[in-house]
Amino acid sequence: MTEENRKQISHTKKSQAGDKSSPALLRFIRRRWLETWNGNPPGFILLTIGIVVAILMSIPLLYVIWRSISAGADSWMRLLGDRIPQLLWNTVSLTVAVTAFAIVIGVSLAWIVTRTDLPGRKWWQWMLALPLVIPPYVGAVTYIIVFGPSGFLARAWRESDMITMSFPINIYSFWGVFFVLTMFTYPYVFLIASASLRKMNRNFEEVARSQGMTTSQIFWKVNLPLLRPAIGAGAILISLYVLSDFGAIAMMRYVTFTAAIYFQRASFDIPSATVLSLVLIVITIIVLWIEAYTRRKNKFYQTSNTFREPQILSLGKWKPLAIIFVSSVFFMAVILPIAVLVYWTVIGAGMGAIDSSFFEFAWNSIQVSGLAALLCMVLAVPVIYLKSRHPSMISTGIDKLSYTGYALPGVIVALGLVFIFNNHVPLLYNTFYMIAIAFVVRFLPQAMQAGEASLSLVSPRMDEAARSLGYPAWKVMLKVTLPSILPGILAGGALVFVSSIKELPATLMLRPPGFDTLAVRVYYNASEAIYHQAAPGALLIVLVSIIPLHYLLKRY
Amino acid sequence: MKKSTKVLISAVLSASVLAACGNNDGANTEEPAANTNTNAGANEENATNETNETNANGTDDVSNNEGNNETAADAELEGELVVYSNRNEQFVQSLLDKFEEETGVEVRALHGADPLQVQEEANNVQADIFISNDIGALEYLNTEGLLSPSNPTNVESIDEQYRADENEWVAISARARGFIYNKDMISEDEMPTKMEDLLDPQWADVENGYAITRGGNGGMIGNVSALRYEWGDDQTMEWISAIQENAAGIFEGHGDIRRAVGAGEHAFGLVNNYYYHQQLEEPTDNNVGFIYTDQGEGEMGAIANAAGAGVVAGAPNEANAQAFMDWLLEDENQLEFVGESLEVPMNPDLEPPFAEAVPFSELQVQDMPLSELGNYFQDTVQIIEDAGLDLELR
Repeated sequence: MTEENRKQISHTKKSQAGDKSSPALLRFIRRRWLETWNGNPPGFILLTIGIVVAILMSIPLLYVIWRSISAGADSWMRLLGDRIPQLLWNTVSLTVAVTAFAIVIGVSLAWIVTRTDLPGRKWWQWMLALPLVIPPYVGAVTYIIVFGPSGFLARAWRESDMITMSFPINIYSFWGVFFVLTMFTYPYVFLIASASLRKMNRNFEEVARSQGMTTSQIFWKVNLPLLRPAIGAGAILISLYVLSDFGAIAMMRYVTFTAAIYFQRASFDIPSATVLSLVLIVITIIVLWIEAYTRRKNKFYQTSNTFREPQILSLGKWKPLAIIFVSSVFFMAVILPIAVLVYWTVIGAGMGAIDSSFFEFAWNSIQVSGLAALLCMVLAVPVIYLKSRHPSMISTGIDKLSYTGYALPGVIVALGLVFIFNNHVPLLYNTFYMIAIAFVVRFLPQAMQAGEASLSLVSPRMDEAARSLGYPAWKVMLKVTLPSILPGILAGGALVFVSSIKELPATLMLRPPGFDTLAVRVYYNASEAIYHQAAPGALLIVLVSIIPLHYLLKRY
Repeated sequence: MKKSTKVLISAVLSASVLAACGNNDGANTEEPAANTNTNAGANEENATNETNETNANGTDDVSNNEGNNETAADAELEGELVVYSNRNEQFVQSLLDKFEEETGVEVRALHGADPLQVQEEANNVQADIFISNDIGALEYLNTEGLLSPSNPTNVESIDEQYRADENEWVAISARARGFIYNKDMISEDEMPTKMEDLLDPQWADVENGYAITRGGNGGMIGNVSALRYEWGDDQTMEWISAIQENAAGIFEGHGDIRRAVGAGEHAFGLVNNYYYHQQLEEPTDNNVGFIYTDQGEGEMGAIANAAGAGVVAGAPNEANAQAFMDWLLEDENQLEFVGESLEVPMNPDLEPPFAEAVPFSELQVQDMPLSELGNYFQDTVQIIEDAGLDLELR
């Protein structure tokens, strides 16, 4: 706000240039203003857009925090005494367990695939990343269909006469949720660790070997420390995901903070929902802080001038074991879910599940995700332009604020938006624009990251050249910069589109009457055990999700 | 085929008779829908029906009347109707589709809506109609002034004790609470017979235990309100703590319970009677029985509740909402409301739409007027929450 004021003042001042001498205070402010921007302040419109975007991005968060503080001591005491400790335990234990296990699986797969003579290792490199295209709640549906108490396996178990024991698997448990989330999140670590392992210089390992270290010693003492940044990056992605997941845990009847917030808000116990949200926000911040802290303490440098490709180790007698490990993970995380979806989609198609309303849901999904993607592409440009061309505290602040929704669970973003629109923007309340806005708040950073990567390749010299030819700043942006970063922006839009299509909790909470999307239908039908209705939509979501895999694989 | 024709004819007949003696206020909005029905169905009865409508309309020319009505329908009923429902989507959607088809009004439905959403949106009303599984919720909204009076034709077919004073809500289908059990796992005489029985921790030891819904479920809220009416708060809270402690499964909805009990995941579960009938219709896992609770001499009787609908106060599409109530109370649509739920129609003149139904009159039902549920609604939610049953799923 004060920035804006200052900016305005300096603006008025400029327009008065040539007037009588301006008061000393104004001159002082102007100097400070220029200093802040290192003598290169952005245009008024650009800055205003940036600030507006930043405010929009952080409003839901601020609103939830404000409401939770004003929730009243009653709600706080009630929840602190009883509910919060249990939820805290459920949430934290799940997050830690999934993150730890996904790291183990991801790193070991990455090591086997990049460093050993595993047959077909080039293929495995992308096949093992495939679970990324299966949203965990879709994965959860397929696991319930197979391992659930009325699923394929339990039925076969009961029908076989030889076994008298009752069916031993309870999918609706901590272990069920743990297993499903692990299977669909390990690729984050796998991808980052593989990239890191591929870039690792052979020299380090050879030095270690010359000191008489065995392969396993080398792994623990040389490879693993060098992998720590990669593991940290993967771990933070996974733990933030587990903290924010709603669909998979709700379907598997496990209650963490997100599910609790969702149910409280669904029964309109707003004070409790906000109190629980605040606790979840704090946990999220702690995770982000831990990551930043450990990264600061661990700095490793690769020497690039003598880089040599890492050595490929022979698996020898371990080969069958490695093949079994790799293929069983692949089976559980890719083959099984896809096969189940295809099976039920075929049945569903036979029963007429792919009817006009199916296409209506698909069209709704496309409409709202498309709008979100478009908005993100438009809004990302000013923010990244500010950040890269006018670096300063203010533009960094705008950039940081734009990430708030991205780090937060969808339920919290939705909760904030419900309050704001119901109380202050009744015109938009209960329209599908609310969902699109929630998607923008959640996924704008995806568009920003993709755009920034492109913008970093465009030299500021080009802008300067164009400006020296007399173009005003906005024209430079539209005519010179934008065309050259357009591919990156479009890629960002595609990412936002896909993330939006599979987003569940915010869509569930914000959809207006009569506006169901594929994600909502998959959730509803799966929780009513109408699998032939759920499967076609789920399969479509999976197919669409393949689009960004291309970008992701290219990045790592 | 035959049966449905018979139902249709009787529906048309009674609709026309009631239209004749009914109040004229709602007649204008009611006609178009009635007309479409008769056109679709028996033409013989058309004549009597149209005469009645003509009288209501004050038009003399019978032959012109139909055409007038058609255009009147188009002029009068257009735009949309926003329906919030906390009933199972499968029970409600076909009813809404039928209304949409017959009137041309676009229905936008929000399934799984909480009654408190209507309250939350009071300053910015979104819904026109609230359909509820729990009369307590409807009466609660009514006492908060959030529903509007209506006077649908044929509302007399529902006994006065099953609707609000000015028909702010009308109950259409009835049900009772009880235990669905898996006959492979437990026999009828091993089952609890009273709500009170669940206070006893012994039921935790039954093989695979028993199942309940989470406390936020409409059916559970009604159940708890009825117990408070009968026992007072202290014993009711004990009861909540007992089921919370002893239940082996706590589910989001009753559909999950019937499936789980049918599949042998749990020995029995606390549900509404129609879930039992639904499970019987499943191709597999259908070896289940049902116990209506508290049927013994001097016992309180089964806890009953009903599903019904009301017009939301300040509804943005008020005319369509009133037309919907009119349409809904036609006998044919009352049956459609009961629909696949396998509940029993509140209207005693209507045949229950499936064979094994126990008519409401044959049950020993708790003697609490349904509207009484509304006085308990909000406190009940609070009590359930205090007992910690609102969130847990397992």
